[in-house]
Amino acid sequence: MDGLVQFFGYSGFANATPGHLLMILVGMVFIYLAIRYEYQPILLVPIGFGILIGNTPFIEHGGMALGIYQDGSVLNYLYQGVLKGIFPPLIFLGIGAMTDFSPLISNPKLILLGGAAQLGIFMTYLGAISLGFTNPESASIGIIGGADGPTAIFLSSRLAPHLVGSIAIAAYTYMALVPLIQPPIMRLLTTQKERRIKMKPPRSVSKIEKVIFPVFGLLLTGFIAPGSLPLLGMLFLGNLLKESMVTKRLADTAKNAMIDIVTIILGVTIGASTQATTFLTHSSALIFVLGATAFMFSTAGGILFAKFMNLFLSGENKINPLIGAAGVAAVPESARVVQLEGLKADPDNHLLMHAMAPNVAGIIGSAVAAGIMMSFLL
Amino acid sequence: MPSIIQYFPVNLSAIQSQHLALAVTGYSVVFLSFFLLALLFSVIPKILFWNVRRTFDNEGDETKKALAGNTIPGEVSAAIGMAISLYLDELHDQETAILTIRKVGKSYSPWNSKIYNVINFKGFQG
Repeated sequence: MDGLVQFFGYSGFANATPGHLLMILVGMVFIYLAIRYEYQPILLVPIGFGILIGNTPFIEHGGMALGIYQDGSVLNYLYQGVLKGIFPPLIFLGIGAMTDFSPLISNPKLILLGGAAQLGIFMTYLGAISLGFTNPESASIGIIGGADGPTAIFLSSRLAPHLVGSIAIAAYTYMALVPLIQPPIMRLLTTQKERRIKMKPPRSVSKIEKVIFPVFGLLLTGFIAPGSLPLLGMLFLGNLLKESMVTKRLADTAKNAMIDIVTIILGVTIGASTQATTFLTHSSALIFVLGATAFMFSTAGGILFAKFMNLFLSGENKINPLIGAAGVAAVPESARVVQLEGLKADPDNHLLMHAMAPNVAGIIGSAVAAGIMMSFLL
Repeated sequence: MPSIIQYFPVNLSAIQSQHLALAVTGYSVVFLSFFLLALLFSVIPKILFWNVRRTFDNEGDETKKALAGNTIPGEVSAAIGMAISLYLDELHDQETAILTIRKVGKSYSPWNSKIYNVINFKGFQG
């Protein structure tokens, strides 16, 4: 009989708290959004399931090393890849191997939109300071505005490891919700006439330009912000593997098997790190609010800068300000949103290729911003 | 009833000059690096095709000069690609018109070795 009582004491039914049940519900919502609406399913399914794993209740001090925060547990070993900042550079290697920088190379001025859209990072940094977060915590929260999950995880693992879970969940949640967050801001900040601007088709890009880009891109950004080297080094290496055409096998592995493996482990461990007992705090709620603000500021920053550039451009060189919204690094979701909004204004206006330029620039921009934050705060 | 301010205790005086300096410098440096990158990649195509353009300049061939400037719009490239693709698609080999159904054998793996042997043995028998 004692054995039965002890068994029940170890079971999830005996240890469940309202927090666990709430987080299980959140995990189910993530999985639902991913499967029903296909909002970033590659990320939300592992994260959502990770939330279920991390919030299945158990006795935390019962001697069984199970939880992600318990030394010696399998989940804890996997989580080291997040805490030590190992997974984000590996993901960047895969992203580099699957990213085509041609739209950006063919129209280099659009890269500036990717820079302008980092406004949310620095505005949110100040917002977090005003809400009482410390300097490193604020920088980690601000980077959510870059709309780049791996960068957010990388920076927060360096500056505020205790907030990694909340920041990663907020970043990926808002990345998944880009189709809901961005369109109202895009419509608010642009006129119908601006949304109808047709941009001239991008020129074709030669192979030599594509090969030069990762090399010079790395050297230039690396010299300016060495803190971004782990991310940008791998991003540009992946891109060189792809564009050089002589390392097809390596590029294939980086953009398929390797990034898939890392994404699964990263997603599950990030999800599991939202264990109700450590995740449901006032700070997490504030991070979610700040994350939404960061996304809005970043979207606005890109759009407004595109309008500003139009003051100096004429005729067919004018930029459709909608593509500024794609300066956040949520690739390719925000470019897709731009395309859809452009089609609503003019069914013949296809902005996808143009939007990909600031979109891929956003990846570089958020990593550079993270590198700058690290240089200041480490 | 607690007010929303209690949940979001904004204190703007907490933002000090060092924080502003980080934000302004950080944003400016991102812009600077992107400006340099944009400048670099505006110049690189001109440098790359300068020599070719000069050669065609000397020959006076306007068409080739335009090509050397690498100013072919993407739409033109796509149209050329489509035309080549359509042309090559028409170059079919003679079809045999014989349909065959070939059974796809399972590749060997230590995890299915037993069933692999059984299947192959049956196949040998048949």
